[in-house]
Amino acid sequence: MSGEALRSENLRKVYHSKGAPAVEALAGVSMEVRRGERVALLGRNGAGKTTFLRIASTLLRPTSGTIEVFGYNADKTPDKVRPYIAVVPQEGKPFFHLTPREQIYSYLRARGLGRETSKARTEEALERMGLIEFGDRLSITLSGGQRQRTMVATVIATEAPLLFLDEPTIGMDPFARRAVWDSLRTLTQRGSTILLTTHYLDEADALSQRLYIIDRGTVLVSGTAEDLKRSVGGTMKVLLPDGAREIERFRSFGSCVRDAESLTVISSPERLGELMEVAVRARLTATVGPVTLEEAFLRVVGRSINEE
Amino acid sequence: MKSEAEVRPRAFRGLPAFLWTEVLVQIHEELAMATSMMVQAVLLVFVWVLNPGLIGVALVGAVLFSMFAMGQRVLNEAAYIRIDHKVSDLYLASPLSAEAYFLGMSAGVLLVYLPPVVVVGVLAAVVIHLSLVEVGLLVLLAGTVWLTSASIGYVFSTAFRDNRAIWAYSSLFFNIFGVLPPVFYPFGLFPAYLRPVALLMPPSAAAALVQWAIGVTVLTRPEVYLASGGLAVEGLGLFLFAVYWARRTVRGE
Repeated sequence: MSGEALRSENLRKVYHSKGAPAVEALAGVSMEVRRGERVALLGRNGAGKTTFLRIASTLLRPTSGTIEVFGYNADKTPDKVRPYIAVVPQEGKPFFHLTPREQIYSYLRARGLGRETSKARTEEALERMGLIEFGDRLSITLSGGQRQRTMVATVIATEAPLLFLDEPTIGMDPFARRAVWDSLRTLTQRGSTILLTTHYLDEADALSQRLYIIDRGTVLVSGTAEDLKRSVGGTMKVLLPDGAREIERFRSFGSCVRDAESLTVISSPERLGELMEVAVRARLTATVGPVTLEEAFLRVVGRSINEE
Repeated sequence: MKSEAEVRPRAFRGLPAFLWTEVLVQIHEELAMATSMMVQAVLLVFVWVLNPGLIGVALVGAVLFSMFAMGQRVLNEAAYIRIDHKVSDLYLASPLSAEAYFLGMSAGVLLVYLPPVVVVGVLAAVVIHLSLVEVGLLVLLAGTVWLTSASIGYVFSTAFRDNRAIWAYSSLFFNIFGVLPPVFYPFGLFPAYLRPVALLMPPSAAAALVQWAIGVTVLTRPEVYLASGGLAVEGLGLFLFAVYWARRTVRGE
C-alpha cells in the first residue's frame, strides 16, 4: 500500500442538470492525507466538502483529476478501495427498524467480519458511544442525536484503515461529541486515518491535526489550526466593547474588525502589553483571549469572498 | 489493518449478511407484514362474490400478484433507504458488493413476505387439485415473476430523488401489471386484441400459462411461446440488467 492514505490531484467535479447552468463543485482540489492523521475539511455550505468526500469514498465520479486511496485509484478501481474505507454519510440515518446493536453487528457482518469479532466490536462501539442503554431499542424510537451516535458507532466499529465522516457530530450533545472525539483519537492511535467535515470549528480545533479550508471548490488554506490562526495576523485577540471609534489607534497592532460599537484586534502575544496600554490611555475596557479557529476561519473565508 | 480475506473484491460479497439485515428490518415492520395481502384478499372476495367457480384461478392469481408485489416492495425499500436514510452510502462504500446489496435486499423482502403467499398457494393447490408438475410450474413461474419485478423495482428506484413521486408510480405498476390484466380472472375473458400485451406482462403471462396448464384457458402455440419465452427473457434479461445497473449506479455521475 502507498505511504499516503489519500492523495488527490487537481480534482474537478462539474454537475450538469437539465435546464440549469452547470455547477463546478470542485475546481481543482489537490490534497493529501497521511496515514494515521486526523484531517478536517472545512468550508461554508456548498463549498465542495461533501462532493470531495463522496468522490474519495467511491460514491461519485470526478469530472477530471485523480484521487488515490492507499495507492488505488478511487475512480478507476473502486472495488479495491472499498475494503479500506468506511463512511458516515451527511444526514445519514440508521435503519429505523433495526436496533443499534443489530445495525452495528449486521453492518460488520456485511463487511465480511467474523461473528466473534463483529460481536465484540459491536459491544465496544455501543459502550464508547454511550448506547448500551439504548442498544436493544429500535432506532425509530431514538432521538436524533442517538441515531447519529448509532451511525458513528457503526463506522467506528469497522476500524477501517480510512474513515470518512461527513458532519459526524451534528445534532449531538456536548458529551456525545466528546465521546466521538475520544473514539476517533483512539482509532488513529491504532493506525486508522480520518478525514472529516464539520461546521463546528471547536471540533476541528480539538480533533484535527491538520485542516484544509475549501471555498467554491478550491483549497484556500491548509495546515494546522495554529498555522491558520497565525495566518490572520496573530494568535491573541483583544475585544474592546466601545473601541470602534478608536480604530485608528489600533491599526498598527494587527488586523481590526469593527462590529457596531465594538472592536476586535488580532495581534501577537508580544505586542499585548503595548496594546493594553493604549487601551487604558483611551479609557477603554478590554477582554483578552486566544484567537479561535472560528475567527480565523471567518477571516480567511471572508477575505476570499471580498477578493472576488 | 484488515486481513487479506476482507480486502479481496468478490462478486456477491456479503450477500447472506445483507440479506439477513434486510430480513431483520422487515420483520420489525409488523403493520406492513399484516397488511401485505390486503389487496389480494379484497380481489379474492370480489371474485368469490361474483363467481365462486373462479376462486381457484383467483387464488393462483393472488400467488402471482403477491410475488409481483414483493418485487415492487424493493422499489420502495431501495428508494427509501437511499433518499430518506442515506444509509445506502454506508453499505455501498464498503466491501459489500453492489449486486449483493440489490439481491440481498430483494431476497430479504421475499423471505419475510413469502409465508402467507405459500399458504395461499397451498389453498390454490387444494382447491384446483394441482398435480406435482403443476405445483412445480407455479413455483417456477412465481419465482420468475418475482425476479422480474424485483429487478424492475431496483432499477426504477435509482431514478427517483423524491419518495413522494414513487407512490404514484408504485400504484401505477400495481394496477397496470396486476389488477387490470387477467391475473385474477381467466385469460379467455381478456379482449383478444390485447392478449399479446398481457402475455408480455410477467404476472398475466404467468397466470395464463398456469391456467393453460390446468385446462382453464386455451392458448395457441404461439401464445404459449410468447408467454414462456417472454417471461424467461424478461426474468433473466432484467435480472442481469439490474445487476449491471446496481454496479453502475453505486457511483453518481
